[in-house]
Amino acid sequence: MIHDFNYLKPGSVKEALAMLADHADECKVICGGQSLLIVMRQGLVAVDYLIDLKGLNELSYIKYDDKEGLKLGATTTHRIIEKSKVIKKSYPVLTAMEEKLASIQVRNWGTIGGNLAHADAAGDPAPVLISLGAKIKLGSKKGDRVMSLEEFYTDLFETAMEHDEIVLEVQVPPAPPKTGSAYQKFNLIENDQGIVAVAATVTADKGGVCTDAKIVLGNAGVIPIRAKSAEKVLIGKKLTDKLFAEAGEAAAGDADPVSDIHSSADFRRHLIKVLTKRMVKKAWDQATKG
Amino acid sequence: MEKKLITLTVNDIEYELYINPKTLLVEAIRDHIGLTGTKRGCETVSCGACTVMIDDMAIKSCSVLAVQAEGRRIITAEGLEKNGVLAPIQKAFLDEGSYQCGFCTSGMLISSEAFLRETKNPTEEQMKEAIEGNICRCTGYNSIVRAIAAVAKGKYAEVKS
Amino acid sequence: MNKYTVINPHEPFRVLNTHVHNIDGIAKVTGRATYTFDVKLPGMLYGKILRSPYPHAKIIKIDASKALALPGVLAVVNGKDDTLGVKQGIWRRYNDLCDEQVLPVDKVRYIGEPVAAVAAVTEEIAEKALDYIEVEYEVLPATFEPLDAIKKDAPEIHEGFERNINVTRHIEWGEVEEAFEEAEYIREDWFKCGGQAHMCMETRAAVASYTPDGKMTVWTSTQSAYYHQALLAGVLGLREGNVRVLAPYVGGGFGGKFELDGAQFCACILSMKVRKPVKIIFTREEDFIASKRRTPMFYYTRTGVKKDGTFCAREAKVFTNGGAYTGMGATALYLTGFFHSFPYRWKGYRYDGYRVYTNTLPSTSMRGFGAPQAMWCSEQQIEWIAADLGLDPIEMRRKNSHHEGYVVPGQATIASCGIDQCYDEIKTWIKSKGKLPKNRSIGLSACGFMSGGIFNWFDTPYSFSSAVVTVNNDGTVELHVGAQDIGQGSNTTMAIICAEALGVKVEDIKVHSGDTDHCPADLGAWGSRQTLMTGNAVKMASEDAKKQLLEFAYAQSGLNIVYDLDIKEGWVHAIARPERGETFEALVKRATRGKDGQRIVGRGYYTPHRKGMISPAYSYMLQGVEVEVDEETGKIKLIDSMTAHDCGQPINHLGLIGQLEGAFSMAAGYGYLEYMPFEDGKMMNPNLVDYKMVRSTDMPPANIAEIDTYEPEGPYGAKEAGEGLTNPTAAAIGNAIYHRFGIQMKECPVRPEMIVNALKEKAEKDKEAKKK
Repeated sequence: MIHDFNYLKPGSVKEALAMLADHADECKVICGGQSLLIVMRQGLVAVDYLIDLKGLNELSYIKYDDKEGLKLGATTTHRIIEKSKVIKKSYPVLTAMEEKLASIQVRNWGTIGGNLAHADAAGDPAPVLISLGAKIKLGSKKGDRVMSLEEFYTDLFETAMEHDEIVLEVQVPPAPPKTGSAYQKFNLIENDQGIVAVAATVTADKGGVCTDAKIVLGNAGVIPIRAKSAEKVLIGKKLTDKLFAEAGEAAAGDADPVSDIHSSADFRRHLIKVLTKRMVKKAWDQATKG
Repeated sequence: MEKKLITLTVNDIEYELYINPKTLLVEAIRDHIGLTGTKRGCETVSCGACTVMIDDMAIKSCSVLAVQAEGRRIITAEGLEKNGVLAPIQKAFLDEGSYQCGFCTSGMLISSEAFLRETKNPTEEQMKEAIEGNICRCTGYNSIVRAIAAVAKGKYAEVKS
Repeated sequence: MNKYTVINPHEPFRVLNTHVHNIDGIAKVTGRATYTFDVKLPGMLYGKILRSPYPHAKIIKIDASKALALPGVLAVVNGKDDTLGVKQGIWRRYNDLCDEQVLPVDKVRYIGEPVAAVAAVTEEIAEKALDYIEVEYEVLPATFEPLDAIKKDAPEIHEGFERNINVTRHIEWGEVEEAFEEAEYIREDWFKCGGQAHMCMETRAAVASYTPDGKMTVWTSTQSAYYHQALLAGVLGLREGNVRVLAPYVGGGFGGKFELDGAQFCACILSMKVRKPVKIIFTREEDFIASKRRTPMFYYTRTGVKKDGTFCAREAKVFTNGGAYTGMGATALYLTGFFHSFPYRWKGYRYDGYRVYTNTLPSTSMRGFGAPQAMWCSEQQIEWIAADLGLDPIEMRRKNSHHEGYVVPGQATIASCGIDQCYDEIKTWIKSKGKLPKNRSIGLSACGFMSGGIFNWFDTPYSFSSAVVTVNNDGTVELHVGAQDIGQGSNTTMAIICAEALGVKVEDIKVHSGDTDHCPADLGAWGSRQTLMTGNAVKMASEDAKKQLLEFAYAQSGLNIVYDLDIKEGWVHAIARPERGETFEALVKRATRGKDGQRIVGRGYYTPHRKGMISPAYSYMLQGVEVEVDEETGKIKLIDSMTAHDCGQPINHLGLIGQLEGAFSMAAGYGYLEYMPFEDGKMMNPNLVDYKMVRSTDMPPANIAEIDTYEPEGPYGAKEAGEGLTNPTAAAIGNAIYHRFGIQMKECPVRPEMIVNALKEKAEKDKEAKKK
């Protein structure tokens, strides 16, 4: 049963941040609640004040320009991101990821800010956004700050956010020319959360050499993992099937997966090997076509 | 804890409720307003039996606080018919036998209806995805997809004289 | 998307097998249908159950004083202080199988077993109160696997059951050893079959109301109102007639809701204490951990055939994980052994089944009743034998199959069997698919199933099914049956049979079911029995009413006695001259006046007599499933399926398709998704995030080719079509994997990791073989 709380509904971000500052660790922030309400029901989260950000439309936006890249407001729902023509054009990997996230119902109400803040190791957006080099903007009464999304995650269900901070915005830099991105999660049934997942973004130069690679493993550890040894295999080379496979092997070594009822740690490593190989190839094919 | 006085608009009727803010929308609909068509089948936002429409979007009412739904237009399965005339999706469910025990049916109808409102000329894949968030243990889903397809094709469109 | 073809149609019926809407449709598609989940009574309290955290422990002391002190808590009950301690079970005929108190007095035997129950003003207070009930346990050593539980030094779970062997079953015919000697090729294999959760959309639920006149009324989600009436009367010390069981709409059963469960029992005990209605609804987690499951089984099967594929002998030994109590496990133990022989003729057949108690969630009946497990083993082994001998798997099956008139020695007489045509249909389907993409393959499985069971283990003195047809003055009909609609559409099926037999329209009939005060006793919805058994009762009652009515028509009409009268779609007429006649309503009015104003009442009943050991009739089928497997990840995706199916005369067209598609999704889940692991007696995934099931995007087309046969024992020739369809799919998936990769999956559900590991093993073996 959910612990009784006092419900606060700020009318603006400013008001929300003031409330957060007032109630410090007696409170929690809710937005879409698609993850939060489950843990509240289980008694894992019990607070005296709940601050509802769902109505903060000022944080629901998708802004894009070729120079600044993409800016997603924290209360933008997954469904809006999924349906965005702008995102489909410039970051189709985000569209593809959202199409497979949970269910339509969850996407209709759940938000990108809430998803990222919840820090579920099996979450879909984080690995993809990290592979795109995303940053996250946090706000508090004291002021705003921006950090790389990669550094945002510190432990299972834990982030670098202070108690008085909320997510304001996700920033994705414009993709350099000849960049491709791909994401795949492995699940037993469609749209289910991933047993593991791999996001890969690669960039090629005019000569067909890989100049950058960001490979991020999802649900392969307590937080999203940059498979840096896999990236090392690729950077500076002209990519071939052999290298894709090698990157896969290296990524499996970077992973720190658990064994649970869905998969042994060994099998998770095996899946990472296969998915990395496939996603790097897919991203590379995108980057180098035309 | 301070109770909240809110107004919920459900099936175009306004209801005034005085509730503990932790009340879920599904609880407000079922227990406070008394509309029991919407069901609950799990505690993990997995089964979809509680699906309602909020501003034409299919949403699981077990993971929305009632207070969050104030000011929105909520439609439940009871709100699909108009003056006793069944909505096309309801007629299609009858024709295709898209229900057996019926416990998931309210949620399925809402997911189907919300999908049909926002998607024209859907593919079969899209129709299947429309109800992917709803579990049915009885039908094997295909009859529900057939019902959606029939409505999408215009089988139940009113013939204008 | 769905292909429905009819082979050899009978003369067209007016109502049977036509496109009739389910008669509960309006209620269900408009949110009006109320379930036990929705029942709200004046003054109703909410109950919650405290459950054992230990798999095996003595209950030393229960102190509920702190819980009772909480505002809003009205009662706390436990087995010792508040119940008669009656050991009950659904196998009432055999006392030693009645081993479950539901609220135990002395000890708990599985994690999740009820220990105490609270009634409070709100659900939240009841749940909070659970934390304040102090229970002192003496933890006992526990055992979790049947092959451990039968060891000499294993802890004793039930007194008097040596080696924890709960039930044994033996089936044998022919000279088995001789038959093996005739065999030119023998294979033996070991298999492991998992459990499965019923996962009804409506969890276990009951509202009980005990009133000062000593009457108990229970609203509950049940597959048999009569069973629950009798069981509750027995455990509560009440007269059966003073217990009324009502089934509002029922949100699924699948074999899990005809035994007494904690919701019903605890709600009753609490209500008896406070004389107020008490409602208990299981959470989804409770439903997983505390309602019985499909029986996990360990199978050993040894099969001998001739080189030309003629089946000679089979012997099977099976250990089943019975869990903590018997439930319906004794039947599942028998049926798995029987259907392991299906649908083939064996010269010698022997089955020995051992059901073993363990300290885990009790296992019981679940749609298919032991046959999905039996087919997982049998149909795969048969495929491997065909491959070993270089024989066509369909033709090998065909030459050994049952046929009309075949007698399974000492067990059953097959009066109708369309399996031969099933083989033809599937061959046609396979051919039509042409060459498959290289990551796909087709797997087959044959099977059959019973149309209800013969053995009266419930020890009822009543007919197995009964029906009453009452005709009103305006031509509408009240049909009272004890058959329970749990979603399979039995209300509609009975209305269809009544409409066909009596000659009225389905819309004219009101079906009354699910109320022991008003409906006749019926064994209820399990074993796929209702279409045949209650259907026969309904047909008899309808024909009785029709005969009474026609007496008045004959008297009035002055027809030559060689002319026959009939009623079709509300028109009473001479068959030879259908234009001569009158409306049904007109006849009814006359007949009613003629009977001193009494409505015409027809009665019908059915109990199978002299029909062998298992069932009065058997369905048959062959199913093909097209499966795609990702060779690198082992991920399984179902692409297409075709089931050639003989259920005699189909009655409820929409119902039949629904049963096929629904059964397929459940059976597929058993084959590749619904993994239900236990660790030290604890279920590891009691929620819908971690318990995986087929969803809309995983479901392939489920095509059907309906083979019409005529089953003399069934109403209009009908047989079952609800459970049999759950039997083949797991094996078909296994066979598809075998045909693609040559790997033999011995354990179900099959999961990607198992496939990848098996492929790795095979690659290593092949490498070794090449070296030599």
